[in-house]
Amino acid sequence: MNKRDQNEGLPDPRNEYLPLAQWLQQVLAITPPEPKAELTSITDNGGRFGDDYHSEFYRQLPDFVLALLNNDTQATLRFAPLLFHLIGCPTCHAAYLEIYDAMRATVVPGEIRMPAGKSTHSMATTSSRMLVYLCQLLINQAETVLREARHKHIDNDAWARSLLQQAIQISSHLMQSTLRQRALRDLVDAATLFDGATTPAEQSPAAHSYTPVMSSSGTRKGGKTRRRAEIIDHPAGQPTIYLQSGLSGLEGTITQHEDTLELHLVDLDQKLHGHFLSISVPLGSILEPVRWLGGDPHSIRSQVAVDEDGKLTTALGKTELRLSDPEDHNLLEALFKKLDVRPIA
Amino acid sequence: MPFTAHDLRYDLERSYPSLCAYLQQRAQRYLGPLAFDANEVDLVVGHIVEQLTRLQLLGCGDHSPQTALDRLSHAQFYAFLNRSVKNKAIDRLRRRRLPTSTLAELERLGNSDEDIDPLATVTNSLWGSTPFPTPEEAALHAASQEELRALLKHCIEGLSAAPRQLQAVMQELTELGAGDLLQEIAEKYRALVADLPSVHLSQHKDHAHKKLRHCLQKSSTNLAVLVALRLTEYGQESTDAAEMSVDIWTLEHVDLSEQEVQTGLKHLVSEGLLDWHGEEIVRFSSTQRKHLTRFYEEGE
Repeated sequence: MNKRDQNEGLPDPRNEYLPLAQWLQQVLAITPPEPKAELTSITDNGGRFGDDYHSEFYRQLPDFVLALLNNDTQATLRFAPLLFHLIGCPTCHAAYLEIYDAMRATVVPGEIRMPAGKSTHSMATTSSRMLVYLCQLLINQAETVLREARHKHIDNDAWARSLLQQAIQISSHLMQSTLRQRALRDLVDAATLFDGATTPAEQSPAAHSYTPVMSSSGTRKGGKTRRRAEIIDHPAGQPTIYLQSGLSGLEGTITQHEDTLELHLVDLDQKLHGHFLSISVPLGSILEPVRWLGGDPHSIRSQVAVDEDGKLTTALGKTELRLSDPEDHNLLEALFKKLDVRPIA
Repeated sequence: MPFTAHDLRYDLERSYPSLCAYLQQRAQRYLGPLAFDANEVDLVVGHIVEQLTRLQLLGCGDHSPQTALDRLSHAQFYAFLNRSVKNKAIDRLRRRRLPTSTLAELERLGNSDEDIDPLATVTNSLWGSTPFPTPEEAALHAASQEELRALLKHCIEGLSAAPRQLQAVMQELTELGAGDLLQEIAEKYRALVADLPSVHLSQHKDHAHKKLRHCLQKSSTNLAVLVALRLTEYGQESTDAAEMSVDIWTLEHVDLSEQEVQTGLKHLVSEGLLDWHGEEIVRFSSTQRKHLTRFYEEGE
């Protein structure tokens, strides 16, 4: 028997407000009114949160839910912006229901089996798919944080940088280059959202833009890159990051001599011969272990000019990381996900 | 202890493998016939990992504010994760259209860890089993609660800067029969909209809705209303009786932070309702008190 039956003959007082409620819902609707039975997952939309992730409201859900569970009569007033948001956002409302149910389980007396003893799990035993996934999530979260900061005129750079650092660090445990590539796919896009990270208007476009030819911890064998890399002057078998310029097909390498990272470029155009180059590593400010030559990874001046054969070998900076260590190699490779060169006039 | 919410916030790289292992183990338990489908297990585990990321727990350190999740005991946090996994697993089973009997078996299986059926022993809150189970219910609550209607009224009044938009909304309220709300607004703004033509209102309506949406979801507006309410409630008359005062800590009461109170006060200053320059004691005149009362009250 429902409430109406119990109070037969008496109008439900809530009906008085029904038209206003319907109008309010119409006013607040921010997404097409197609309820989703399941939250859009990162696996469904190619690794991005999408427009229906409203981070400011999402993070309030546990506190709101707990206030409701604690019978806080002021809950809806205290969380009024969130309540109004939930009226119009089916995605956040679905998340609210999910979190409410899960939080309710925390206040029900009962037993839950907790993992006992010391954990023996490590990155090496964790599904690589889950590692890739976490990296993508962290990068997407960093993007969200930076966009929100831009919108609200606040500084979230340290937060976003920390998320990207963790993504890079975690990706270094992936030994398969294709998986690392997938994990860090959006890294450069996210890094360009930092204040001052974008190419200043007065800076000329890059003459060449290099990306790493992903390798398995510097042991890549055979193939064109390897053959061409042999042209570049460094000892055979030395741990190396191989670079390739997408448009021009030019190649280069990064090697290490003690603490110093060295860039080797070949086949540079005639117009660059005799010129010093400005080298930009856009992700260089994200990881701190490299002390860049000149201090600014966005503008590293080559120590020598490009020679008459189109070759350049120059130091980039110093680091305690070791290219010979597989995880350090992967970290550095992520750092050089983009490397631009332009002539210094 | 393999991992805690604190570990996931501050030491993600070390604790993530344990989180994945725990979620995977629970997912396999609840997925029943799908337990050996690696894709399904990953989907469930991935969903929880994504949720914890969206909630700004994973790897966020001190950059994001701590939430109720951080304050759960270890056992409660595991209960939260366990229930989240279970719900998602059941959702996946439903999507794969498994027979209902199988789902019921899984429900029973899931309860073996909890001794009792969580669904049958929900905490009875003031709100019933699950408050606001649909957006419609949430809207009905917002429309029927006086203080929330006061927020709505405040935001509608904010449209007076664009009289055609206010007129469009007033027309909508007339058609809805939202008598109380309309009456007060109409009394106050009748002159403003009296001579406006009532044609082509639909485009103004769209702009008005956008502004209302923004206003209602803006924390500062809502905080301002709450702080205005508390100023008039807690304000003490000073000796000359022409002035009232209240300190910031009183306004915080038990549920607002100092920053939230300051945000609310700043909003009231920007509305011209208060002279306040960051002092710890907020002072206001009796005239300002009247205006503050009008700011939040409905049905004056």
